[in-house]
Amino acid sequence: MKAKTEHGTNWTVTILLILGLITIVFPLYMTIVIAFKQPSEMTNSIAGILSLPKSWSLSNFKEAMEVTDFWNSLKNSLLITGVTVVLSIVIHSLMGYAIGRNKAHSKFYSFVYLFIVSGMFVPFAILMMPLAKQTAEMGLGNWVGVILLYVVFYMPMNVLLYSGYLTNIPMALEEAARVDGASTWRTYWKVIFPIMKPMHATVAVITALAVWNDVMTPLVIMSGTGQNTLPLAQLNFQTQFGTNYNLAFASYLLALIPIVIFYIVCQKQILNGVVNGAVK
Amino acid sequence: MRKINERKRTYLLITIPILALFICFNTVPLIRGFIYSFTNFKGFGDYDWVGLRNYVDLFSDPRVGSSYWFTFRLAVVSTIVTNVISLILALGLNSKIKAKSFFRGAYFIPNVLGALVVGYIFNYFFTYILPELGKMMGSGALSSSMLSNTKTAWIAIVVVCAWQAIAMNTIIYISGLQTVPEDVYEAGSLDGATGWKKFKHLTFPLIVPFFTINMVLCIKNFLMVFDQIMALTKGGPAQSTESISYLIYNNGMSGGQFGFQSANAVIFFIVIVLISATQMTISARKEEQL
Amino acid sequence: MKRRNQAIAVTLVGCMTAAALFAGCGGKENTGKTEIEIVQYKPEAAKYFDELEEEFNATHDDIHLTIDSPNDASTILRTRFIREDYPDIIGIGGDINYSYYVDAGILADVSDYEGLKDIKSAYLDIEEALEIVPTEGTYAVPYVANAAGILYNRDLFEEHGWKIPNTWEELMTLCEDIKSEGILPFYFGFKDTWTCLAPWNSMAVDLAPSDVCKQVNRGETTFSKEYEEVSEKYLELLNYGPEDPFAYGYNDACTAFANGQSAMYPIGSYAVPQILSVNPEMNIDSFVMPAGDTAEQNTLNSGVDLHFCVTEDSPNKEAAYEVLDFLLEDENIQKYIDDQNAIPCKEGEFELAPMLDGMNTFIEEGNMTDFQDHYYPSEMAVDAQIQTFLINKDVDAFLQKFDKDWQRYNRDTIRKVQEYEENHGENQ
Repeated sequence: MKAKTEHGTNWTVTILLILGLITIVFPLYMTIVIAFKQPSEMTNSIAGILSLPKSWSLSNFKEAMEVTDFWNSLKNSLLITGVTVVLSIVIHSLMGYAIGRNKAHSKFYSFVYLFIVSGMFVPFAILMMPLAKQTAEMGLGNWVGVILLYVVFYMPMNVLLYSGYLTNIPMALEEAARVDGASTWRTYWKVIFPIMKPMHATVAVITALAVWNDVMTPLVIMSGTGQNTLPLAQLNFQTQFGTNYNLAFASYLLALIPIVIFYIVCQKQILNGVVNGAVK
Repeated sequence: MRKINERKRTYLLITIPILALFICFNTVPLIRGFIYSFTNFKGFGDYDWVGLRNYVDLFSDPRVGSSYWFTFRLAVVSTIVTNVISLILALGLNSKIKAKSFFRGAYFIPNVLGALVVGYIFNYFFTYILPELGKMMGSGALSSSMLSNTKTAWIAIVVVCAWQAIAMNTIIYISGLQTVPEDVYEAGSLDGATGWKKFKHLTFPLIVPFFTINMVLCIKNFLMVFDQIMALTKGGPAQSTESISYLIYNNGMSGGQFGFQSANAVIFFIVIVLISATQMTISARKEEQL
Repeated sequence: MKRRNQAIAVTLVGCMTAAALFAGCGGKENTGKTEIEIVQYKPEAAKYFDELEEEFNATHDDIHLTIDSPNDASTILRTRFIREDYPDIIGIGGDINYSYYVDAGILADVSDYEGLKDIKSAYLDIEEALEIVPTEGTYAVPYVANAAGILYNRDLFEEHGWKIPNTWEELMTLCEDIKSEGILPFYFGFKDTWTCLAPWNSMAVDLAPSDVCKQVNRGETTFSKEYEEVSEKYLELLNYGPEDPFAYGYNDACTAFANGQSAMYPIGSYAVPQILSVNPEMNIDSFVMPAGDTAEQNTLNSGVDLHFCVTEDSPNKEAAYEVLDFLLEDENIQKYIDDQNAIPCKEGEFELAPMLDGMNTFIEEGNMTDFQDHYYPSEMAVDAQIQTFLINKDVDAFLQKFDKDWQRYNRDTIRKVQEYEENHGENQ
């Protein structure tokens, strides 16, 4: 190593990183270019595929929106993700609180803790078939069922996070509120819930990303109801695209745009959340 | 005394409904799956109890065997590839470079994209673009689609899996590297430690916990791979890329092997538990040593 | 105060669950009409069925019809059956799934349906043969049939003066001729495994007994014996396809054939709409796969492509029959066969698509044999096994595995057949 690198900018690494970015940018560039082209512009050569489109017409997107019923799928995806995140924050933090405050001295709660956390090891593959039957029997073969399942699936991870975070919050805070005569329930909402805000952000980010991109749960639970989430719509309309890859790519791009916007807007929170979730 | 009772009651009132919900959608289906594994249920119509026949068949079914072989090979190779690349990337992103936060942000993008759509995009890349590139470079191996060859299709899947997973692992390694205090390096450079040596003896031991996290994350996610298979190969060519989850979904849900694949899922569950338990004991021991 | 707060909390959780359950159950409006729901498995005919649905609802006041044409309907149907959520009518193909559904008692006996009288008896026989063990009653109303063989580019053939082959030898000579002109004889889309079955079926009907699967189930023969010739000839066919047939899917192959990249495409008549969507001007005809050594051995590979079954669970059998009447009206069938290049199962004067010219004599003579894969259990994935075989090119290994797997996947079926034989054998 040269002494130069000890101070100032390491240009070698910077340039290597720029080159490395090609692996990220290229597939995205390819998607955008193909999405805007007309089938007649697609020749078999690389140049034909990757050159810029003749005109930036939105007609592919319009058609893709019609074919995949885009707005409905988007609505379903937003609804499922939004409700799941809210319910997760409320339910999982409550559970984390009850467990976190009791597992040290209560056999029952430490059992509940282990019981729920061990749910992390249950692969969806084993639950999938019985759940398809069970949700239908309960009249939950729809987005409501999907949300309930997500709340259950992400419970182990989130309870682990919340109860871990709680050990850093001194009991004294609660005791002070209790002395003032507040009930446990009230204390929780007034004191503990606001304090756990950083953890809420983490849980929200992890749950939202996972739910938004999940295919398997809606595939098994909602298929045949005529309702799609955004990723599920891509799967279900694959044959309708035929060999019109331009249409298909327009649809893929539409499916990617919401999450990319979300990422650009909340980049910091997302990066923090993801790291917190994994490291804790 | 009344206070304590009130507290206890509140905790219970919180715990019991949530626990009931969890049992209803996690434990109950788990048990039902276990029960179905002893039947020849097709998913509809009536069924008979067949005892352990499904389990006996599982171990003599080459298709199930090859799906395990494929899934494990994929998981191990992807984990290694992902961790090596993301560690290098993290070191790069943590060094003194221009526009640090831009690079960090950009390299994380693949992780927020849905695996299914990413799979479709790469499907096109492998079928149409890579062979053309191969022809231009005059490489015979690359001039036909990687996805159509039983020897290379799984590599294509590794590439796609790694492309997404690297983003996540890199971020975790970076946060690990940030915990390494500057003075460790300074002390190191006084001893004349440079390059590889510096990394091996100074940096790496300090980020071992993060390495463990990444390993656990990777292995678990890759063993359950589904979306990428669905988008890239649907298990082909010649059933060479059927992952365990894909096989269970495909044959269990739509192929009339509800009972048989339930047995497969039970075995898969046991395997996952065993692997996780082993990983945790090993990492616990490692951390003790440090 | 505390009590009340807790009570509120409990009520809240309760309400949430209740709301969730209500949202789950609700959603269906009650219009006072009888609701009939059809799920049919041909997404390529979605447009036709959408129009039909609209027309039906415009002309019928008492029944409201919905027709779903989802992609991958067989998975969706299975999933719905797993959930015990049955549509009133299902439109599926005459294949092993149908056999299973009959066996599982999901389908209703429709032998009292008047419209059955107009259906060609050959197709009712095909349906009958599909039942795992002979079952009293009729469970399907055949709608249209398809035929598989070889599609060819009529213009290319006329231009070069190529003749339609009648025997295997003639086909091979033809392929050599085409190749020598620098044109690719066949295109394949083997990335989609199911397309591997198309040439397989059309050769197998010429070369193996039509009830080979049932013979095997009764333990009278083996696939190693009956399918050897088919397998070997399939490999010969492969020599005249594209360099890497496993790189392209069905859509890609249709596109390539439509663009004149190959002279022939061994696939079913169902592919024609897809091909024409790429090149509407294309002049396509078809001929029967000449896999035999003599012309007499040839038979047209044809089976029921779409039939309608009423589910046992449907509360509105009469309304369902009324819908079937509407579907079976001559003009609707004609519209379907124009649209999808299909063969009607109903008696009567229908105008067949010009792409079926080459197969017409077989259709008129009734020289037709059902697809062999209609008897293969789907979980055995014979299509993927054939794909594996085409890649490895090992006939013996393939057929041995075929025989072995057959026994395993059909264990319950074979047991059922043997039990039936024991009970009914003497009476026959």
